[in-house]
Amino acid sequence: MDVLNNLATGFAVALTPINLLYCFLGSFIGTAIGVLPGIGPPATIALLLPVTYGIPATSAVILLAGIFYGAMYGGSTTSILLNIPGEAASVVTCLDGYQMARQGRAGAALAISAFGSFIAGTLSVVGLMLLAPPLASFALKFGPPENFALLVLGLMMVGYLAGESMTKGLMMACLGLLLGTVGLDPIMGTQRFTYGVFKLSEGFEFILVAMGLFGIGEVLVNVEQTIKAEVFQTKIRGLLPNREEWRTSAAPIARGSLLGFFIGVLPGGGAIISSFISYALEKKLSKHPERFGKGAIEGVAAPESANNSAATSSFVPLLTLGIPGNASIAMIFAALLIHGVRPGPLLVAERPEVFWGLVASMYIGNIMLLVLNLPLIGLWVKLLRVPYPLLAPLILVFVLIGAYSVNNSVFDVGITIAFGLFGYLMRKFNFEPAPLVLAMILGPQLEASLRRSLIYSRGDLGVFFERPIAATLMALALLMLLSPVFRWVLSRKLSETVGPVSEPTGEAGDKSDSTSK
Amino acid sequence: MVRRDAAVAAMALVFGAAAAYESSKLPFGTVHNPGPGFFPWWTSAVIVLLASILLFQALRSRSSTAREGPGRIAKVAALLVALSVYTFLLDPLGYPLCTFLLVLFMLRATDPQRWAVALSMAAITAVGSYIVFAIWLSVPLPWGSLLG
Repeated sequence: MDVLNNLATGFAVALTPINLLYCFLGSFIGTAIGVLPGIGPPATIALLLPVTYGIPATSAVILLAGIFYGAMYGGSTTSILLNIPGEAASVVTCLDGYQMARQGRAGAALAISAFGSFIAGTLSVVGLMLLAPPLASFALKFGPPENFALLVLGLMMVGYLAGESMTKGLMMACLGLLLGTVGLDPIMGTQRFTYGVFKLSEGFEFILVAMGLFGIGEVLVNVEQTIKAEVFQTKIRGLLPNREEWRTSAAPIARGSLLGFFIGVLPGGGAIISSFISYALEKKLSKHPERFGKGAIEGVAAPESANNSAATSSFVPLLTLGIPGNASIAMIFAALLIHGVRPGPLLVAERPEVFWGLVASMYIGNIMLLVLNLPLIGLWVKLLRVPYPLLAPLILVFVLIGAYSVNNSVFDVGITIAFGLFGYLMRKFNFEPAPLVLAMILGPQLEASLRRSLIYSRGDLGVFFERPIAATLMALALLMLLSPVFRWVLSRKLSETVGPVSEPTGEAGDKSDSTSK
Repeated sequence: MVRRDAAVAAMALVFGAAAAYESSKLPFGTVHNPGPGFFPWWTSAVIVLLASILLFQALRSRSSTAREGPGRIAKVAALLVALSVYTFLLDPLGYPLCTFLLVLFMLRATDPQRWAVALSMAAITAVGSYIVFAIWLSVPLPWGSLLG
């Protein structure tokens, strides 16, 4: 058994005391920021990027991954007790979770989401472990045209799935690509857009852009809105769901895990969308859909399982194809690059200790998280009482130190603040930051593969449409690009026959609609 | 607020056009052998195209997509000014003092707390983070050239 051998190697890496410590730290920080509304995983990972400079690659990725999937555990706590999502991926959990809490079943809701997360998270690691190596060896056959087509499809999906407007998503992606071109040309070494500023010849430091957009940008948005948090006053007792609750939740957890896994694998898919779709699915399948929104335990179990499963499976495209599917994963991509580890098809073969160490740490991390989120739930409830106004300065100070420490330069702090302002404005006008950071990090590869393909084909664009794999990927990308047109035509046809149709307004409706097609 | 959406789209349009112009100064190469200007030029062209679509949509629709909140824009602006001042004063006044003032500002101006809370939080944050980062993790945070 090859897999078991490799896994054993992985555990040997993950079980060293130092990596266990990083795994625990990741899980702990992840749960904390999951619980706290107003700071999300991408911002936290951006803040901690400078810290990971000094530690080995494997430890860095174990820590950052732990934060990412740990946040999925913590997010539900806030949704259930406060009716405020701790994370975007726990928005739907508010619907039934808070109702359960009001009916005195907060304990059961918290427990089922922790167990659901644990089961889904673990199953998803199994999937990651089995799927990634064969996918990576398949991707090894890719030449520049296939890579280009894959990157185009990836960016297209992120633009399509990350926000409500595909036009805006793609525009942010193009802006990211453009930001990625600042500095030296990847093939000929010409200076581009540096305008004589020496510091720019190495390009915009990704980490500064990320910390600005996510760290400072989020603080500014929250300062404007003020989060008012009131913990639902209840005794959390009976942390174990009863047999009836288990029976109702078992199938939703299984379906949520499976659904989450497959949605998470898609770039731009990920935890948020999967939680919405799995909620909608359970409601559709339920014999009593009227119970949803009034404290149905399936409405907590399914989305909480789905978001965990998706968080883990979004490592599949990163570790096999080198495509980060969401902002948090893009930060982990950056962390690996800094350590000279290039995520992509060669990773599993060339750096097995990174891949298998990460996989093993995820099994361990999920167990740690189950313990952190069940017996220690009281700790996090206390954390919820910390008012955001006291938290905001801490986040800011952390960002400022982080920005400074990258090159020990005050100039970098200025750049970060400028991107913070930009991130704030983007959110004000409903532009998503995720496509921008993904495109920025993928830009140099996209450009290099495009130019290499064209040199190889002597300028014949047919190279992207004649080779079978590249052609399939391009066709998918094109289909995705044209989908808004299809939808527009369809809705016009509908409105001609049925009268005016209202545009889907709710984020939930919109997302599940557009992806289930 | 349709105008705001349109204004944003128009700004993006101008930006895309400017980027395309700047890219055109770089050697474009040929399709057989694309040069450094090839990719940025096409990317800028796509931005121009997308911005035109957005502008068209904004002018046609009657509802705004911009997030309208209760809005405390003045506080955001004040915080941004404070952050810029922070950057300029970081070298001369040093990290501990600047951070103390920034946190104090946030806890008195953006989200007012009691003086006692604000002062102690600011002091703890400034001193604590200096100890952790500058002393333990040896990040050379500026101590302040004016303070010697």
